[in-house]
Amino acid sequence: MANPDETLFLWINGFVGVLPILDDAARLAASDYLAPAILALTLIVLWFGEASADIRLKQQVGVFIALSSMGLSGLAVFIANIFYFRPRPFADLDVNLLFYEPTDSSFPANSAATAFGIAFGIWGVNRRVGWFAIGASGSYGLARVFAGVHYPLDILAGIAIAAAVSFAVFRVSEYAMPLLVGVIRCLRILRLA
Amino acid sequence: MTVEDAGMINFTADYCIAVFISTIGVLQFAFSLGRLRGLLFFKSPLVSRTLGLAMAILGLSLFFGTGTRNINDYEGGLDAPDQALYFSLSALAALTATLAFTSLINHRMKNEDIEPDAGLDTLRDSNYASALKRSVLYWCRNWRTQTKRYFSG
Repeated sequence: MANPDETLFLWINGFVGVLPILDDAARLAASDYLAPAILALTLIVLWFGEASADIRLKQQVGVFIALSSMGLSGLAVFIANIFYFRPRPFADLDVNLLFYEPTDSSFPANSAATAFGIAFGIWGVNRRVGWFAIGASGSYGLARVFAGVHYPLDILAGIAIAAAVSFAVFRVSEYAMPLLVGVIRCLRILRLA
Repeated sequence: MTVEDAGMINFTADYCIAVFISTIGVLQFAFSLGRLRGLLFFKSPLVSRTLGLAMAILGLSLFFGTGTRNINDYEGGLDAPDQALYFSLSALAALTATLAFTSLINHRMKNEDIEPDAGLDTLRDSNYASALKRSVLYWCRNWRTQTKRYFSG
C-alpha cells in the first residue's frame, strides 16, 4: 500500500507545469524571504497600528510572544533533527522541483514551524491580523509542498510544533508579564511604545 | 574578493534595500491606523495608507523582480540568523529615517502638555524629536520619584 503522505505529495506536486503562472506564484510563495518578511512586517503593524493604548499594550506583548514562539519552534525543530533525519522528497521520488535543493531534514518543516510560531502568537492577541498571518504561513507551507521540497506531513508536524510551543509561551508569558510590561514602559519613555 | 563574495554582498544589499523601503511603507500604514499624526508624511490617513501599502509592495517587488532569489545560503543566499539580523537592522534604519524625516516636516507640531507614561499617544499631536526631548527632560528631572514606586514596599 502506498504511503498516503507520499501519495498526497505526488498529487499536489503533479500540478507543477499545468499553469506557468501558478508555478511562478509557488516559486515566490515558497521563497525563504517573502513569507518571513510579510510576517515580520505584520509584527510592525501590530506594534504601532492601534489607537487604543490598552489594546496596543496587549498587541505589543503579543509581538514578544510571537517572536519567542518563532525562536522556540525553530529550536524544537533543531532538536528533533538531531534524533531524526528525513530525506527531502526529491531525494527519493521523481519530483517536479521548482526550488533549490535544501540539504537539511525534511521533517519537521522548520519553515512552517517558525512561520506558524509567529502566526499563532499574533492570533492569540488579534484574531483578524492573526488569520491573515495564518493564511500567509499556510500559503508558505503549501507552496513548499507544491515546489517539491517538503512532504505534507512535514508541514503538519511543523504546525503542530508551533501550536504546542505558542500555547506554552502564552502560558509562561503570564508569569513574565511584569518583565514584558516593564520593557514596554521603558520604550514609552523613548516614545516608541 | 571572489565572485561568490560579490554576489553575496549584492544579494544582502538588495535584501536590505527592499526591507528598508517596505518597512517605511508599513510604518506609514501602521502610524495612520494608530492615528499618530506626528509620524505621518501626509496629513490624510487615506493617502498615508495607500502610499504605505504601495511602498511595502514596491520594496518586495524590487527584490523579487530584479534577480534569482531562490538561492541556498551556501550559494549566495542568506541563512535564517543572517536574514533576521539584516531584517532587524534595515527595519531599524527605516524607523530612524522616518522619525528624523517626520520630525523635520512636522516641526510645527509641538504638544506642551506631556504625560510621562503616554508613550506613542503623544505623537498624535507632536513630532517625534519634540516629544522625545520633553520625555527625556521630564525623566531626568523626576526619575527618583517615578522609579521610587517600583522599589518601595
